[in-house]
Amino acid sequence: MVVRNYNEELKYLEKINPYCWRIKKGFQPNMNVEGVFYVNNTLEKLMLDELRNSCRPGMTGGFLPGVKQIANVAALPGIVGRSVGLPDVHSGYGFAIGNMAAFDMSNPKSIVSPGGVGFDINCGVRLLRTNLHEKDVQPIKEQLAQSLFDHIPVGVGSKGIIPMNARDMEEALEMGMDWSLREGYVWAEDKEHCEEYGRMLNADPSKVSLRAKKRGLPQLGTLGAGNHYAEIQVVDEIYDKYAASKMGLERTGQVVVMIHSGSRGFGHQVATDALVQMEKAMKRDQIEVNDRQLACARINSVEGQDYLKAMAAAANFAWVNRSSMTFLTRQAFAKQFKMAPDDLDMHVIYDVSHNIAKIEEHVVDGKVKTLLVHRKGSTRAFPPHHPLIPVDYQLTGQPVLIGGSMGTCSYVLTGTHQGMTETFGTTCHGAGRALSRAKSRRNLDYKDVLTKLENMGISIRVASPKLVMEEAPESYKNVTDVVNTCHAAGISKKTVKLRPIAVIKG
Amino acid sequence: MDEEMGGFTHDDFILPPVKYEYLDHTADVQLHAWGDSLKEAFEQCGMAMFGYMTDLAYVQIKEVHTIEANADDMMGLLYHFLDELLYLFSVEPFLICKKLVITEFNTEEFRIVCKCYGEEFQIGKHPQGSEVKAITYSAMQIIDEPKDNRFEVFVIIDI
Repeated sequence: MVVRNYNEELKYLEKINPYCWRIKKGFQPNMNVEGVFYVNNTLEKLMLDELRNSCRPGMTGGFLPGVKQIANVAALPGIVGRSVGLPDVHSGYGFAIGNMAAFDMSNPKSIVSPGGVGFDINCGVRLLRTNLHEKDVQPIKEQLAQSLFDHIPVGVGSKGIIPMNARDMEEALEMGMDWSLREGYVWAEDKEHCEEYGRMLNADPSKVSLRAKKRGLPQLGTLGAGNHYAEIQVVDEIYDKYAASKMGLERTGQVVVMIHSGSRGFGHQVATDALVQMEKAMKRDQIEVNDRQLACARINSVEGQDYLKAMAAAANFAWVNRSSMTFLTRQAFAKQFKMAPDDLDMHVIYDVSHNIAKIEEHVVDGKVKTLLVHRKGSTRAFPPHHPLIPVDYQLTGQPVLIGGSMGTCSYVLTGTHQGMTETFGTTCHGAGRALSRAKSRRNLDYKDVLTKLENMGISIRVASPKLVMEEAPESYKNVTDVVNTCHAAGISKKTVKLRPIAVIKG
Repeated sequence: MDEEMGGFTHDDFILPPVKYEYLDHTADVQLHAWGDSLKEAFEQCGMAMFGYMTDLAYVQIKEVHTIEANADDMMGLLYHFLDELLYLFSVEPFLICKKLVITEFNTEEFRIVCKCYGEEFQIGKHPQGSEVKAITYSAMQIIDEPKDNRFEVFVIIDI
């Protein structure tokens, strides 16, 4: 790899407008296309500091800086457009987290990479609305938080409570949310408000290892740990009244529930298995990449196809998982308010996937092309009138759900036409880490973090005490910076701001 | 492969000293383990991973299970060894290990057989720590320098 000092590296980067930087070819070897990343002044500093630190002699960290990773992705075979870094970008396994890359399906050399999806396949966010107001919840907030914590299994080693045997599992992997619907866990209209209607049709459970199925079975219907959560939130500010009302969000103070979770051990194992297979495929097909972590296979190879089918099964697992927790959330609310979930108007507003690869049609150089779009730590944000978004959102654009970090705000955005042309309809996914977990634990005090949350009026239930520090807002980039950058850059539009009042975490 | 209760000797309950630490890493955690032999460094690395999932002081030795790992090279062996341990925790018997004893450490055919001592993970009894998603090869290092008596391993786990 080329060794350059920080100032030489900077020559390959160019600020093209207040919110966007270009990464020129040559920044990393063999770049097929340019890179680009979206940042404001605050985030720009974080991004460049990461690069500067990696230029210091004697650096032996595990991951390259995010900006280098974006450039390495630009060197992958078959990539079109640009390798895009979203404002919450930080370094991850192979691809940066907050990275989007699209590959031309008609090019036989184009690749698919599990590192471009992530270990937690179809990790995503779902938002449920209610017709409750903050003042209805305040008197029983603690009981409600506790009830949610009791209903949803959370944290390391927790097991699902939805009855499930190996045969049910096969069906769930194939059917996704259609399985949840058939078994009575969700409402028919929930599916409408879900990317892919909660089911990827190319899922093939026979391409999934027994090991993955065994890891997945006990964990179906569990929240997980780390940055996953279920939050009770209230509408804090409405920026776009029309779009918000289309989502059933009519007034500030309205209560909603956000669920952030993925495909659990099942998806982790599918990714692990695929990485092993792809190392072999790369040797066979002589695919050269800049970083060993960018293991990939040609889309049309056996390994590539098998991964896409197994990934789709993992995506279905994640939708069934979020659906099971939707069911448990509705039960918890129904019990506390002694009203049916129907009467509480607990509809799914939308469900987004922020770790996934999808086959989509986009315009490249004036021509319609079929692309395999990898979104890792980034969210699809389709504009108004796009055929793949539900009827209810045809005039507003696709709702995009951005989860904040513990104790900070979350946002609902909508997709824009500019985003469709600039980033293949992609925007940010959340806050993005700024501090390492160990550093958070050293610098922050457990009691301080809890007191701070309490002072903000947030009830909290956490299975693991050390998560309190690791997931504290100070450990993350400011989600408001991230969202404002996406809004200012025009790749998505702010609709609603949500403020948490109770958090349930692993 | 299960050897259920009973048949434990006094030695089975003797705990090894802690020879591992957790190093800084942005989104994940890096395990650093060492020992008087590479075998010991591997055992310690496995225990470090379990120590990140719970507080091992709350774990009792009630069961022993045997795992086997095979690979094509040393890094692969370390990877698969940890992956097998993670699997032992993730599925039946849901074992959280307090102590690991490698009974076969073959560095020519790259094969490990290991006895895993611990008990079934139980919420309420065992504090919930972090969940390990996967083992990674990123920045993996195996230091095997018998002449300096230096045996260390570094592994980043995805959490």
